[in-house]
Amino acid sequence: MKTPSVLIVEDDEWLAEQHQRVLTIAGYKATVAPHAIAAIQLIDEIHPDAIILDVLLTGNTAFALLHELQSYGDTGSIPIILCTNLASELSIDNLKPYGVKRILDKTTMAPDDVVAAVRNVLL
Amino acid sequence: MGATTGEHEQFYNGPLNDGLPSIVAAAHELKSPLALMRQLSLMLEEGNVPADDQKRMLRQISLTSERALRLTSDLTRSVRLSDALFTLEPINPQQLCEDIVRELAPLFNAHNRDVKLVSKRHPLLLVANRDLLRRIIMNFSDNALHYAEGDSAVEIRIATLKAGNIIRLGVRDYGPAIPIDTLKTLQGKLANCAPTPVHARPQSSGLGLYISRQFADAMNGHIGVTQHRDGATFYIDLQASHQLSLL
Repeated sequence: MKTPSVLIVEDDEWLAEQHQRVLTIAGYKATVAPHAIAAIQLIDEIHPDAIILDVLLTGNTAFALLHELQSYGDTGSIPIILCTNLASELSIDNLKPYGVKRILDKTTMAPDDVVAAVRNVLL
Repeated sequence: MGATTGEHEQFYNGPLNDGLPSIVAAAHELKSPLALMRQLSLMLEEGNVPADDQKRMLRQISLTSERALRLTSDLTRSVRLSDALFTLEPINPQQLCEDIVRELAPLFNAHNRDVKLVSKRHPLLLVANRDLLRRIIMNFSDNALHYAEGDSAVEIRIATLKAGNIIRLGVRDYGPAIPIDTLKTLQGKLANCAPTPVHARPQSSGLGLYISRQFADAMNGHIGVTQHRDGATFYIDLQASHQLSLL
C-alpha cells in the first residue's frame, strides 16, 4: 500500500520541521514547502494526498495558493488543512469551496492534531 | 503600559494616542514564537523523541524564547524612550556590527544560515545610542533571517553616503523580492511610524519596524527599505561623527 503523502506549507522552518516529525512518526511521507511558489512546484512533483497550509506565508498568502489550486481539476480535489494563528478569525464554511476541510489553531493544538486532521481528511 | 485604557481611542487596533504600539500588534507578534515553543514542549513531554532530536528541539525552544524576549525588551525600551535616558555618542559601526554578528551566529547556525559583515576596513564613526542601534540592527537581522532563502547569507553592510556625512547600516537578505504593492505599503509604514494590520511580511504585524523607526527617530536617524531583484535591504542612516575632524 502506498504511503500517504502530505505537503506542509509553512514558512516557520522549525514549526514545519515539527509537523514533519510528527507526521513521519505516524507513517506519512511529509514534505515541506516554505512558501506558495515552492508549494506549487512540489504539488506538481509529489502529488500530495493532503496539504497542511499556513495562512500568513512569506510572499503570497495561503489564499492565493488556494485560488491557484482550485483552478485545476487535479489539484482542486486535494484536501486542505489550514494551520494558523488566525483560526479564530476564519470560518470553515466560507473556506469549504476552496477545498479546506479542517482548520487547526496553532495556539491551542496538540502536536498530534496534525496527524488526526490528516487521517480524518483522508478517510 | 503605564496609561489607563480610557486615554486610548484605538487601544486594541491601532497605535495608541501617546504613540505606543497597539496591544494587538504585540500579541500577534508574540503568538508565533509562543505557539512554536508550546508545540515543541508538548512533543518533548510525550517522550517519544530520539535523543538527537530532543537536543535540537531544546535548542530551538531556547533560541525562540530569546527572540521573543528581544521583542518584549524592545517594546519596553520603546515605551521608555520619552524618558530620554540615553545618550548619543560616537560609535564605531564596524565594532558594533561585529558584536551583533557574534551574538546572532548561534541563531543563524541553528537555521543553517550565515550572517556576515560587509564593510570597509576603517568605516567612519557615527553618532548614535549603542543600545538602540544594536536593537535596530538585531531587528533587521531577525527579519532577514526569516526572509532569506535556502542557505543564503544575510549581510550586514556599512556604507558612507553624502560625502561622508551619513553612515548607512543595512541588512541585506537574499530572499524573494518584495512585491511592489507590499513595498509601497512598507515604505508608507516606515514613513508614518504606525503598525497596521497590513504586513511588511505577511506573518508580521510590522511591530518590529515600528519600534525600529521609533529608535531611529530618537537618534535623529532615518530607516528605509530598498528592494532588490533577489531580496531586500533594510537600512538606517545616521549622522557621521566629526570627532576626527576636531583633532
